Amino acid sequence: MKVLTCLIAGTLFCAGLSIAHAQTGEEPAPSPEQFAKGANLFAHTCSHCHGPEMVNPGNFSFDLRKFPHDGRERFFNSVRNGKKAMPPWKDILHQDEIEAIWAYVRTGGVAPQ
Amino acid sequence: MRKLLLAAALAALCPLTGFAQSTGDLLKGAQNDTSNVLNYGMGYNLQRFSPLTDINRDTVKRLVPVWNYSYDDNKSEESQPIVYQGVLYVTTNAATMALDAKTGQQIWKSKIEYPDETPRIVCCGIINRGVAMYEGKLFRTTLDANVIALDAKTGKELWRSHAIDFKDGYSMTVAPLVADGVVITGISGAEYGIRGFIDGWDPETGKHLWRTYTVAGPDDPNGKTWPGDTYKHGGGSTWITGSYDPELHSVFWGTGNTGSWNPTSHPGDNLYTCSVLALDPKTGQIKWHFQFSPNDPYDYDSVAEMVLADLTIGGKPTKVLMDANRNGYFYVIDRTTGKLITANPYVDKITWAKGIDPESGRPIPSEVTDKVRKGEAQEVWPSALGGKNWSPVSFNPGTGLVYANTLNMGMQYKPVTPEFRAGLTYWGAEIGWAMPDGPRGFLKAIDPMTGKSKWENPSDIPRFSGVMSTAGGLVFAGKLTGEFEAFDADTGKKLWQFKTGSGVEGQPVTWRQDGVQYIAVSSGIGGVYNMFSGDDRLAKVPAGGSLWVFALMPQ
Ligand code: HEC
Repeated sequence: MKVLTCLIAGTLFCAGLSIAHAQTGEEPAPSPEQFAKGANLFAHTCSHCHGPEMVNPGNFSFDLRKFPHDGRERFFNSVRNGKKAMPPWKDILHQDEIEAIWAYVRTGGVAPQ
Repeated sequence: MRKLLLAAALAALCPLTGFAQSTGDLLKGAQNDTSNVLNYGMGYNLQRFSPLTDINRDTVKRLVPVWNYSYDDNKSEESQPIVYQGVLYVTTNAATMALDAKTGQQIWKSKIEYPDETPRIVCCGIINRGVAMYEGKLFRTTLDANVIALDAKTGKELWRSHAIDFKDGYSMTVAPLVADGVVITGISGAEYGIRGFIDGWDPETGKHLWRTYTVAGPDDPNGKTWPGDTYKHGGGSTWITGSYDPELHSVFWGTGNTGSWNPTSHPGDNLYTCSVLALDPKTGQIKWHFQFSPNDPYDYDSVAEMVLADLTIGGKPTKVLMDANRNGYFYVIDRTTGKLITANPYVDKITWAKGIDPESGRPIPSEVTDKVRKGEAQEVWPSALGGKNWSPVSFNPGTGLVYANTLNMGMQYKPVTPEFRAGLTYWGAEIGWAMPDGPRGFLKAIDPMTGKSKWENPSDIPRFSGVMSTAGGLVFAGKLTGEFEAFDADTGKKLWQFKTGSGVEGQPVTWRQDGVQYIAVSSGIGGVYNMFSGDDRLAKVPAGGSLWVFALMPQ
């Protein structure tokens, strides 16, 4: 849905698009490599609590399909430092790895074309 | 005052062990001592059977909750309560609790702390499966791999022994076993590249007595079944409590899957993964081993309970061990010798093997497995969750049937090159689900000698609770959607249910106190199926752990 809105907006206000991104905090699509790296890391480090391809009932952990796609800061903060039963990862996952997982989560797990 | 004097007099008369939970008390089990539940599995044989009959086919309609106790914990609640002289002892990942078994009043609660990082290396639920009790002490494990002893009266910690560093992928959820005066514990973490083991501890001091590796190293002739250094991350976890036969002086403990899952990363039989070990409890020495799934690619972890029974086979009374293995076959093994008696499918769909060779006990690989061993992706049944997962079965010696929460799920399996990084998963495989349209699980009444079911009760969302049966002709189980249920042991007809507030993943127990039969079970969702199956239907089942206790409403 978000993608669709963006496309329509794009055709109408083509020139203003990148500025709009900056203002809402949305980021450009990740590269296919970064997305694939994120998907792989997600499967290996996060999926047993957050479900395969982020599908989980959301009653134990967070349903990451519903995580705000413009919530970069919150994502990095929660993943690095943990939150309640969510363990902290900053001492074990490198910055570029969290970045790749974020690319996977903020695109809703849909690979860039 | 009178009471006090009497107590003092009794204490003077009886030797200390007469009061505490001696080896003799533990030997009785819930089958011979219906007023207590002193063992995990309700007896050293792990049969989870009670001879009590107050609650039976006719009266079960009057079964009502008598109290509920909040665990103040929103994880999966898989702990089995222990009951001794009117006090119920139960655990969560975060606390140990003593409750008045009749009223539900908390006597003490002793909190457990572990580093925030610990759950990173816990694949399948932030849980604890309960305490063992011996001579006035309770023993339990902690998520960050410590074994601790508490004073049963006060909850005060008496000793704490550190098993191993959790940062290397090791964790503990197992309920300890006390056999011949030794506290025995297992370990979790085969998904994180651990090298599994079983430990023996001195109950008095916490001193480490022995460690038996479940992944044979260079000092063991079976170390040859691991190429090079692969044994160092070979898996073989031991996260379910073993059974114990005091006559044979053997503990029977199941072992987990290989690390990594990818069989091409460690060609060979990979002993002693996916096996059962017969151990001497005093020394940890292996008397015999039987391997269910050599060089296992599929996470057919064989930790789940090894139930002991005496069956008449070919007219001869035989001491057997029974296992509804994750690999889909039901095994009956001579527990004196470790020789296979029979192994038959207990689930409808098995594609990874064509059968079990009756002579060698080895599986006959199917084409699917041949291809997987060449590194190809395949659809495989049963899934990594198995034909049955950890959910313990019950054996009713009266009906001769094993009641089990079985699974009906397959998977898309792709071996990939594993990369070891301490504290992260070491899977070596990518999996997706192959789910059937209908029920994903059945409560089955299985004939151990044929694997065939006398009856089956389906469930769209599979059951993951422990099962208990009673001489009242009943079988108890629970659903992930919260229903705690009673079935007719002969027909499988559902006779009763009560909807708890969360999913039931606990292990029901029963005892009789002051003329009343009680049944206790934990409710609280958050285990492996909930987290990992991607079953969105469970979104309507909230977390929230608590203990329910039931009894018959007076007529
Ligand atoms: C041991 C289980 C577990 C693992 C492994 C895990 N998480 Fe979580 N995660 C949780 C739980 C539980 C919550 C909910 C925390 C709460 O109660 O707010 C959560 C919440 C989150 C949130 C939402 C936090 C917020 O701001 O509300 C994000 C984002 C997240 N996890 C990302 C990840 C990523 C990325 C990984 C893999 C690197 C991961 N998680 C691995 C259990 C886990």
